[in-house]
Amino acid sequence: MSAIETTEGYQVRLDIFEGPLDLLLFLIRKKKIEIHDIPIAAITRDYLGYLDRKEQINLDREAEFLFVAALLIYIKSQMLLPREKDLDEEGDPRQLLVDRLLEYQKVKAACSLLREKEDDQLQQWKRGFLPPLPGGDELDFTEVSLFDLAESFFVMMKRRAGEDFRVIKGKNVSLEEKMKEILASLEKDGPLDFKEYFERQESLEEALVSFFCLLDLINSRTVVAVQAEIFQTIKVWLRKASRRTHAHD
Amino acid sequence: MTDDLKETIESLIFISQDPLTPDRIQSVLEDAAAEDIRRAIDELILSYDSPEHGIRIIQTGGGYIFATKPDHDRPVRRLLQIERKNRLSSAALETLCTVAYHQPVTLAEISALRGVDSTTALKTLLEKKLIRIVGRKKAPGNPLVYRTSEKFLQYFGLNSLDELPSEEEIAKILQEEKISEL
Repeated sequence: MSAIETTEGYQVRLDIFEGPLDLLLFLIRKKKIEIHDIPIAAITRDYLGYLDRKEQINLDREAEFLFVAALLIYIKSQMLLPREKDLDEEGDPRQLLVDRLLEYQKVKAACSLLREKEDDQLQQWKRGFLPPLPGGDELDFTEVSLFDLAESFFVMMKRRAGEDFRVIKGKNVSLEEKMKEILASLEKDGPLDFKEYFERQESLEEALVSFFCLLDLINSRTVVAVQAEIFQTIKVWLRKASRRTHAHD
Repeated sequence: MTDDLKETIESLIFISQDPLTPDRIQSVLEDAAAEDIRRAIDELILSYDSPEHGIRIIQTGGGYIFATKPDHDRPVRRLLQIERKNRLSSAALETLCTVAYHQPVTLAEISALRGVDSTTALKTLLEKKLIRIVGRKKAPGNPLVYRTSEKFLQYFGLNSLDELPSEEEIAKILQEEKISEL
């Protein structure tokens, strides 16, 4: 998103605003306007000024900004229209917007208070806490669906199928053993890299068994497969609750 | 029985991973009087507040739980290998706030209040279990209705929704903002 310069000379970007109401409140404050008596024409001009400086409109996000722009213009037109009765009797066309702004302003203020509480709480560590991936920052990890897992798995297996394969028979891998192996490795070495793990498997059979184990463990909610972002490496993690039960075993 | 009541409760709170409510304590210690339990908890809290302890008992989510004192935040994070704090994004916090003050509320109502589509933020909050689905609204499309969860209270160190910032506190904040602009 392009940077927007305000008349005061400092830079304000549209994407720092949570939404159109946030931008409107900002403009109202900046102009030191009384919220109950908004000069619609002036504020609309400022508001459109912010939108105008953008070369492109990203419909996903800015549609909401445009909607409020349309609302402002509509309100102005309502105020300009000649009426039979006085505005007072029919109600101020701005009222709906003012109510929304006041309500939004309240939520914003409550937000800042809750943010303080959040910061307080985040400094007090409690038990029953699940450590994040080593080296992982505050990214939101999303749990990977079975389809994502299966897809990654098949892609990897396909790649391996192309390799020159010499199968040496002799080692039978049991599901049960493999499961224990995976759990032991998770307990000992922490999170496991999905791709790395399967590339380490000796045979296709062993990889398949491991994959079934993993699915089973995810299904029983013993482990969780997470991904920081789409297309990034998938990591497998021991769930907190299971760690506790294992400690008791 | 009452001789070691304080110590018993201390061990119960110690072992709890979620805030332990007075009701739960009462159900375990059937013979103890509610009054004695309350006094014992108060004494415990007081004794842990002294500087010789690195941990203390805090009241949150309607119960009691042990927590490290804020002074030890940094070393604890180093131990847990957490470099930065995992705060809520401003969009998520704003959405959560909207739910908290307008619950029970639907996605469309939240989006209207914020003036922004809140689908993603709502999904994040659901995943974090800070809000929960409580049913469907009897309206066209039967939209899902959301409320804040128990975990929401714990997350902000509140004991009930009554402890959310009040109208007066909010008005005070707005007043301060106004003054700072002048």
